[in-house]
Amino acid sequence: MGIGQMCRRFYRLCFIFILVPLFLWVAITPSHGADIKIGMKNEPKTLNPFKASDTWSRKVVTRFYGHLYTREPKTHKIIPWLADGYPEYDEATNTAIVRLKRTKWEDGSPLTAHDVVFTGSVIREFKVPRYFYCWRCIKEIEALDDYRIKFVLERPMAIFVPRTLMNFIVQKKKWEPVVAAARKAEKPLQHLLAHDVTQPMSCGAFRFVKWARGAYIRIERNENFFATGMEIGGKKVGPYVDGILFKFYGSDDSAILALKKGDIDYYWSSIQAGYLKDLEGDRRFKVFKSDKNGVHYLAFNVRKSPFSDKAFRQAVAYLIDKDFIVVRVLQNEGQRMDNIIPPGNTFWHNPDTPKFGKGMERKERIKKAYEILKAAGYTWEKPPINAKCKVVRAEGLKMPDGREVPPLDILTPPADYDPHRAMAGMLVQQWLRGVGIPASSKPSSFGSITQQVKVKRKFDVFILGWGRLGIDPDYLRTFFHSREDRLYGRNPMGYHNGWYDKIADESAATMDETKRRDLIFKMQKFIIEEAPYIPLYVPYVLEACRVDRFTGWNEDLDGVGNGWSLFFIKPAR
Amino acid sequence: MHLGKFILIRATQIVVSFFIILTLLFVLFRVAPGDPASMVIDPQMTPEDVEVTRALFGLDKPLYQQYLICLKNFVKGEFGSSFYYGKPVIEIIGEKLPNTILLFTTSIILSALAGISWGKVIAWRRGSLLDSSVTVVGLVSHTLFLPWIALLLVWVFAYWMNWFPLTGMITPELWVDPDTGTVRKVLDVLHHMVLPLSVLFTIHFGGFMLIMRSSMMETLKEDYIVTARAKGLTERQIRERHAAKNAALPVVTSVGLSLAFSINGGAITETIFSWPGIGRELVFSVSNSDYPLAQIAFLLIAALVLVANLVVDVLYAYLDPRIKY
Repeated sequence: MGIGQMCRRFYRLCFIFILVPLFLWVAITPSHGADIKIGMKNEPKTLNPFKASDTWSRKVVTRFYGHLYTREPKTHKIIPWLADGYPEYDEATNTAIVRLKRTKWEDGSPLTAHDVVFTGSVIREFKVPRYFYCWRCIKEIEALDDYRIKFVLERPMAIFVPRTLMNFIVQKKKWEPVVAAARKAEKPLQHLLAHDVTQPMSCGAFRFVKWARGAYIRIERNENFFATGMEIGGKKVGPYVDGILFKFYGSDDSAILALKKGDIDYYWSSIQAGYLKDLEGDRRFKVFKSDKNGVHYLAFNVRKSPFSDKAFRQAVAYLIDKDFIVVRVLQNEGQRMDNIIPPGNTFWHNPDTPKFGKGMERKERIKKAYEILKAAGYTWEKPPINAKCKVVRAEGLKMPDGREVPPLDILTPPADYDPHRAMAGMLVQQWLRGVGIPASSKPSSFGSITQQVKVKRKFDVFILGWGRLGIDPDYLRTFFHSREDRLYGRNPMGYHNGWYDKIADESAATMDETKRRDLIFKMQKFIIEEAPYIPLYVPYVLEACRVDRFTGWNEDLDGVGNGWSLFFIKPAR
Repeated sequence: MHLGKFILIRATQIVVSFFIILTLLFVLFRVAPGDPASMVIDPQMTPEDVEVTRALFGLDKPLYQQYLICLKNFVKGEFGSSFYYGKPVIEIIGEKLPNTILLFTTSIILSALAGISWGKVIAWRRGSLLDSSVTVVGLVSHTLFLPWIALLLVWVFAYWMNWFPLTGMITPELWVDPDTGTVRKVLDVLHHMVLPLSVLFTIHFGGFMLIMRSSMMETLKEDYIVTARAKGLTERQIRERHAAKNAALPVVTSVGLSLAFSINGGAITETIFSWPGIGRELVFSVSNSDYPLAQIAFLLIAALVLVANLVVDVLYAYLDPRIKY
C-alpha cells in the first residue's frame, strides 16, 4: 500500500468519525422544553427506598415517596404532609392517632393507613438498617380504618414525629409480593434490599419515566400530587416544571463545565470556591451561599492520658485558631463552629456555648493554654512562656503524674479526599507544638481512619466531619452517650459522663419540643465545655443556578437543592 | 510438541494462575484497612445497623470461611452481589462492559491499524524526512500525558468551539424523546465517541507505530529480503508479503495484550469524559470497599490477559512457520 493510499484511508476514517457526526450535530441538538436539567456527580445506586441510603439515590427517590410530616422551608417547623393535622398523643397510654389526608398514588389508587402500617411493619420485621432505630420503640402499629393509624409506643420517644413519622411510605399493593418473596428467601433482608425497583410508585410531586444507566434519569410531574396549589411558607406549591432530567457527570470539573456551557441548569452539589469568581461574573447564574447542616471537628480518645484530662482538651481548644482556618483554608467560604449543632439549625442551636480563644492573638492563646495546663499540674523542661512573659519554644511537656506527654498523631483524611481537613490537621499540629505538645498530623485513607477510630479504637486525635446531621438533634445524645462507646458505636472517643447520659436519655424521652429544647441547650453547653469534640468549622454550601431559565429557588439550610425548590421553581420565560 | 498438547498445558496453567490471582485479590482486599460497613459515616447508622450490614455482606464470618464461600460460589458460577448497589456483580459488569468495549477496543483496533500501516511505511523509507517527522510525531503521541490532552480537547472542541458534547455517551434530551430514531441515536453515540476516541487513538497510535517501525527495520536486514529482491519482486511485494508479515510478530503481542487490557477501560479517560464504563466503576468499587465488584472486575481483566497470552502464542505459530510447539 502506498502512502497516498494510506492517507486516503486515514482521511476516510477521519471523515467517518469526525466530520459526519459533526455535520449532523446541528440537526440532532434537541430542544429544552420546561424540564429542569440537574447535574449530579454520581448516579443513584437504586430506586429501592429501603436501600437508597446514598446521597444520589435519595435525591431522586425522595421525589416519589412521601411521608406523614415534613418540615416547613426556612423555619423547619414540623407540618403535616400526608397526615391531616398533628398526631393526637395520649401520654397515659403512649398512644398516638394519626389521620391521613385523602391522597392518591400515581396510579390513582388511594394512599391509605394500610400503606403506612405496611411500611412500618416491613422496616420492623426486616430490621432495615438506618430506619429500624426510628421504629424500634413502636410496640404496635394498627390501621383503625383506611385513614387513621394508631401507634403504640413502648415509652415516650422524642424522635417519634421528627423521625418515625417522617419515614417514607411505600404502596402496600406494589410491595406485598416483594416482601412475601423476601420472607421465603434464605437471606430475607438481602432479598428486600436487592429488589430492583424499575418503576417506583409515586405519591410525590414527580413520577418516574426512564433511567438510562450511566447517563440520565427523567421524572415528570405527577398529576395526582396532592399538594399542588397548597400554600406553604408563603408560596404556592407546584411543581411548575414539566419534569426533571438528572444527568450524571462523575466529576465536579465536568459538571461545572456543563453548567457553564448550558447543558444543565443546576449542579446538585456544593461547588468549590475556586469556581465562584467565574460563575459570579456570568449574568445567567445566581450564586447561592448557604449554611451547611454539618460540622467538622477534632475529637480525642478520652480513654488515654492526657486526652482524658479536661484541662488538656480545653488547652488544645484555646490553641486552635478556627478563624484562621476559615480565612486561610476555607478562603472565607465557611464559618467557625463553637457548637455541634450548626447555627443554621436555628431552633435547636444554642448560641451561648463557650467560644474558646475567639478573637485571641497567637501569643494570647499560648499564654492561656499555658495557664490552664500549669494550673492542672503540667510541667515543662522549658515552658512556652519565659520569665519575661515572652513566648518561646517549649520543650519537655510533662503530665501531672510526671510522665512526658507522649507523641500524638492527628488523623486526618488525605488532601485528595478533603484538602480542608488535611490542611487543618497540619495547622493544629503546629499550634500544639507551640506549647510543647508533640503532635504530628497524619493524613490517612478514610478506610484506615474509620478502622482505627470505630473498630480498633486505637488512636489519639482525629479530624472528621458530619455532613448530613438532620434537623432533629437526637445525634447530640448518641455522639456522647456512654452506651455508644462500643464496637461501631457513635461515641468512638470513649467519652463517659453520668450526668450527660441522664440528661441525654431524658431528652430522648421528652416529646414536648420546648422542654426538649431546654435539655438540648444544656447538653450543648456542657459538651462544648467538656470538649471531647472540638467543633472547628463548617464550609458553606456554594451553588450556582441558571436564573435566566428558572426562578423561585428556595434558599435554605444545606443550599437551594431541596425538595421545596423543586416545588417552587418556575420557568423564567 | 503438538499444538493441541501445548494449548492443553497452557490452559491448565491459566486455570492455576487464575485461582492464585483470585486468592491474592481476596486477601489484598480484606487486609486493606476499613470494611464497607464501618466506613459508613451516618449519624442514623446505629452499631446494630452496622452489625446487620456486616452480616448481610458476610463479613461477620472468619476470613477463611469467607474465602471458602467465595471459592464455592465462584466454582458454582455465582459471583456475588455488589455491597454498594446490592445487585449481582455480573449484572453491573454486563451494563458497563459493552460501553468500555465500544470505546477502548475500537480505539485499540484503530490505533493498531494506523500504527502498523505507518510503522511499515516509515521503516521502508528509513532516514527520509517522512521517517524523521512521523517518528517524532509517534514519540510525542506515545509520551503525551493523557489527562492533559483529554482536558485540552474537551476545553477546545467541546466547550470553546462547541463542536462535540462535553461528556457522556449519549445526549439525554435526545434519548428521552420518543420520536428519536435509531440512526440518530447511533450518530449521537458516535458524536460522543469522537473526543475520547481521538485521545485514546493519539495515545496508542505512537506506541504501535514505533514497535512496528523498529521490528520492520530488523526484518529488512534479513537475508530473505535480499533474496526476494534478487528474485525480482516489486518493492510493494517485498514490503507487504515478506517484510511486514514477519515484522508483525512483536506488534501482535502488543495488540493482543492491549486488546485484553482494553476491557479494563481507563479510569482517567472514563472520568474526564464521564464515560459509563468499567474503568470508572473499578475505581469507585475499590474506593468504596465494594469487594465483590472490584474482585470480579479484576478477575475479568486477569482472565482476559491470560487468554490473550495464549491466543498470541498460538497466533505466533500461525504467523511464523518456524515456531513449533
